[in-house]
Amino acid sequence: MINRKLKRALAPYVLIAPACVLLLVFLYGVANGIVQGFGIMPFLGMTTPTFDYYAQALSHPELIASIKYSLYLAAVSSALAVVGGVVLSAALTQAKASRLFQLLGVQVPISTAHMLVAIAAVCLFAGSGLVPRILAALGLTTLAESFPTVVGAASGWGIIFVYLWKEIPFVAFCTVTIMANISEKFGEAAAGLGASPARTFFGITLPLCKGAIVKAFLIVFAFAFGSYEIPFLLGPTLPKALPVLAYIEFQDPDLMNRCYAMALNGIMALICTVLAAAYFAVLQRERKGGRS
Amino acid sequence: MSRRKPARVLPRAFLALHLLLVAVPILVMVMWSFTASWPWPSLIPEAFSLKGYAEVFGGANGAAVLAQSVGIALATAVLTTTVAALGSRALARYHFRGKELFRFATVLPFLIPTTVFAMGVQVVFLKMGFARTVGGVILAHSIVALPYAVTIMADVTAAAGGRLEEAARSLGARPLQNLVHVILPQLAPGILSSISMSYILSFSQYFLTLLIGGGMVKTFALEMFPYLTGGDRTIASAYGVVFLVVTFAVFLLVEWALKKFGFRAGQDLFNLQ
Repeated sequence: MINRKLKRALAPYVLIAPACVLLLVFLYGVANGIVQGFGIMPFLGMTTPTFDYYAQALSHPELIASIKYSLYLAAVSSALAVVGGVVLSAALTQAKASRLFQLLGVQVPISTAHMLVAIAAVCLFAGSGLVPRILAALGLTTLAESFPTVVGAASGWGIIFVYLWKEIPFVAFCTVTIMANISEKFGEAAAGLGASPARTFFGITLPLCKGAIVKAFLIVFAFAFGSYEIPFLLGPTLPKALPVLAYIEFQDPDLMNRCYAMALNGIMALICTVLAAAYFAVLQRERKGGRS
Repeated sequence: MSRRKPARVLPRAFLALHLLLVAVPILVMVMWSFTASWPWPSLIPEAFSLKGYAEVFGGANGAAVLAQSVGIALATAVLTTTVAALGSRALARYHFRGKELFRFATVLPFLIPTTVFAMGVQVVFLKMGFARTVGGVILAHSIVALPYAVTIMADVTAAAGGRLEEAARSLGARPLQNLVHVILPQLAPGILSSISMSYILSFSQYFLTLLIGGGMVKTFALEMFPYLTGGDRTIASAYGVVFLVVTFAVFLLVEWALKKFGFRAGQDLFNLQ
């Protein structure tokens, strides 16, 4: 009897053990980088913590510009992705979209790597891309160069295009199941009581999806803020996105620059920790709300 | 009926527009991949060729790199999905100290950028001997894919509930029988979603593979990347098309394999509704 009780008490810990191993490697890796940002590299005999690299990083005008630029890219892409994704999710629910529709509209974009969307964006919008050609055929432009450049534009519209193409379906993916359930449960009742579809949507569906929407927003924001490939491929030379700047310093043969890179990473991690705290708060509120 | 029809016009129009916006970039990429020359300002290419595809599969080890990438991504998918399924079971069926902490920890790789993790963990992996090995790359990819897999598996596990399982047990099913005939079939739609999602995360990973693999572990994404910066649109697009075709071929195979083992894989790749 006691044996059985013990087994029942230990079972969950056995089940989560493999995941915990992966998560510990993750945390150890992140912490290891952050510690280097304070100038601690035991393998080089550096053990005295210092704020020099952070001070250096924060006094660098290029860095402040990079932080602002990365925040701008992440904020614009994630805000637009959430609006687009919620509308897409609502449209899928309302139109009772067929399986094929969902496959093409949601699953194909999720399965397409960001890099491929960058190729497609170049094929579409670059100097000799399809869109400038169409504009030329319509007589709106005559020169390939007159179309706003997609690679290296300071506004980062090419980067934002790639993120939106990928993340609008992702946000829809995160919200469509719960939205469909809500619409099934309450939609009829609300309509029966005379509520207009818009009122039902804004008054009932949207508030009940809030948790899922906030989570999707935070995931998309953190991704756009911290990823390297797309700003590297399509971003301007100045200001560089934060991860691009960090990797340049990281690669520098002078190992002192690695501390500087890690200080940049520390700043990124700090901003993301704030996001993580927000995520945790949403999670807790959902638990308290009685969903499990 | 006729009163409800207008309410569907707007969503349908929006979906049609969305589908167009999804399809056009992909179709343009497909067109570029076969293009030999496309002078300004004509609307369609002037000459076609298979030069891009020859570049993808030609060279010393084009096909070998592709096979290795698929292998790494499948291993990542199976490992991550298994780990996530176990963890999700703990979340759905048990109350234990630290449950909420664990739930929160599983989403951390969502929120802390992969770049921060990759640059920090590189030295650790070098010291432990994981760097520059296929195993190390699979481990790193699995960590990044874990939050997606847990999110998907936790939902399916909670939805499946425990009643069928208990019924089977009370009827005398052994643990293994219960697993194969009751538990796994119930989780099948989630398993397919989780495998697909982890696969795509691994297969498209560039930065993490670069840092952990250190140039010794070659993947398709790594081979493709220089063509994106180099500016040869035909070759870059051919890589893109092969990437998509291989990805969906693998998804279909996984779905087929799950069915073959008697699991009804549900309606959708990503288990939407």
